[in-house]
Amino acid sequence: MVVLEERRYLSRAPEEFMDITEDVRAVVRDSGVTAGLVAVICSHTTCGIVINEGLPCVEADLRRMLDRIAPLEGDYAHAHFLPSYGATGNNSPGHLKSTVVGSHCVFPVIDGEAVMGGAQTVWLAEFDGPQKRKVYIEVLGE
Amino acid sequence: MAIDAHVHPVLWSETLEFDRAGLAAWGDLYSAHLMGAMDWDEVSVEMDAGSVTSAFVMALDLTATVGGTVVSNDAVAALVAAHPERLVGFASVDPHRSDAAAELERCLGGLGLRGLFLHPSKQQFSLDESCVEPLLGLCERHEAPVYVHAGMSWQPCAYGEDARPARFERVIAEHPGVRFALTQFGWPWVDEMVMLLLKYPNCYTDTAVNTIGSPQEMMERLFLHDLGPRWLELSLSRQVMFASNTPRFRAFKMLRALDGIPMPPEVRHRVYEGNALAFLEGGDA
Repeated sequence: MVVLEERRYLSRAPEEFMDITEDVRAVVRDSGVTAGLVAVICSHTTCGIVINEGLPCVEADLRRMLDRIAPLEGDYAHAHFLPSYGATGNNSPGHLKSTVVGSHCVFPVIDGEAVMGGAQTVWLAEFDGPQKRKVYIEVLGE
Repeated sequence: MAIDAHVHPVLWSETLEFDRAGLAAWGDLYSAHLMGAMDWDEVSVEMDAGSVTSAFVMALDLTATVGGTVVSNDAVAALVAAHPERLVGFASVDPHRSDAAAELERCLGGLGLRGLFLHPSKQQFSLDESCVEPLLGLCERHEAPVYVHAGMSWQPCAYGEDARPARFERVIAEHPGVRFALTQFGWPWVDEMVMLLLKYPNCYTDTAVNTIGSPQEMMERLFLHDLGPRWLELSLSRQVMFASNTPRFRAFKMLRALDGIPMPPEVRHRVYEGNALAFLEGGDA
């Protein structure tokens, strides 16, 4: 059985970590799948899916690390006018941070529940907000 | 806090409710097929993120050149009616329309739009053509400001020579009772724009200069290189308005870049808010 749920999230800041853990758990519970996998997949190139401990200090460290890798202003090749978009590519840090954190994660499903480590939080990590983002939560199993 | 003086709401979902063909037209005319529509909750959140309190939104009438509107006057009026606390509407009338004056009268009178937006290079007219004069007369009678696209446009068939600030001097000079704003410092003809600002107190411009590099790069280029170090503070501070030219560029990113340009607090206040209000309503910033 495959159950696919599409969720939309509106970020409210240029960068934001949104906790979507309970949404993932709820989709699994409602899916009817008792054994299998759940995949969380974002469909964008300037945000990502992050799993880590949901503490403000951990989030702050993650943000600082990503800022060191891709600071707001840098020598970015993407910072030029893009005729296909009709706009200047001014979101290079978002693209790079998205690549670093990845765009998806997977958890096992056992007895109808998503199985996560006790410290694990699922964040939708916004790197080019604010804007509306689409996330697919797909449950596969029996 | 800031007022965004120059926004094209072409990719807003509410606009598309009125102008379903507008999105396709935007893609064809503006070379922007990959940009998607934004719901109002996204628009308002983005304004909040940049502390943008309100925005001037522009219709675009290309009746005589391509046979339709990209954003109609009725769509802009509906947007403003739905969000009066955040939006101020500017009409667009193609001067070559046979009913141009009647349409502008309808907009400034019945629809409640507050000004006129003209795009000489895209609408393919000259500001000193006789067909423009009745429109300027109506604007003067309604005390409605006139926003004019100046400088480079990425749109096809929008030729730079029709958008040079100096081309507009005679009309600005001959209509001292009309407040004109020329977009994006007339980039790349910034020196011509400065000349007009110095000579004509009824002339304004905006900061929507982001044609080639990052917002930071372009704001630094404009204010720290193209302008002398104290030109803004000493001579231009009452005529420059913050603007983003959204959807080309996101307002909060333009503001973030402008925040990095040194200027006295009272000048920053004028650039961010006061001058837009003065342009819209008359009086001092």
